Amino acid sequence: MNKSKREAILDLSKYANERIRVKFTGGREVVGILKGYDQLLNLVLDEVEEQINEPEPHSRSLGLAVLRGPTITLVSPVDGLEEIANPFVAQE
Amino acid sequence: MLPLSLLNAAQNKPMLVELKNGETFNGHLVNCDNFMNITLREVYQTSAEGDRFWKLRECYIRGSTIKYLRVPDTLLDAVKDEQTRAREAGRSARGSGAGSRGGPQRGGRGRGRGA
Repeated sequence: MNKSKREAILDLSKYANERIRVKFTGGREVVGILKGYDQLLNLVLDEVEEQINEPEPHSRSLGLAVLRGPTITLVSPVDGLEEIANPFVAQE
Repeated sequence: MLPLSLLNAAQNKPMLVELKNGETFNGHLVNCDNFMNITLREVYQTSAEGDRFWKLRECYIRGSTIKYLRVPDTLLDAVKDEQTRAREAGRSARGSGAGSRGGPQRGGRGRGRGA
């Protein structure tokens, strides 16, 4: 059972050539197309856009980039991502 | 009751994860490892200010960024039962093992949800 924990719990191959959103320690955030990865979660993304919210929302084009695994805090596919109204109001 | 045992037992259960930066993620646990890295599915993300919300198909969160995880409290019973069963399985090898089931029960039907 614990053997399986030795390998990555995130199978990045399913995101190959898919647009993903990546957040970093410190709060920066980018979106790009996954081209490669390794077991340390270093990523290669193409068509990278940094999403900047301050002072006003805009983005900055970074092109092809290597993202350093140890600084990555969140990985999520862009497909299926949507901003929604508060989903918790009904429950409270 | 080890934190990671509880987390391991929480697979496929709904949970709330708050990160150090205050963002929260509500979703079902898909997988976790000994670094407390986790993957969630059917996720609702809430901004640190609590004023914006997103729906995510799935996400991976680095364990070192987690402040805390809230899990269903029925999990505690499940893990305790599991531990009891494991202990009794060990004891039954030597014989006896008569009725030490049914420890103190937690929960029940009508508890409040907590603030």
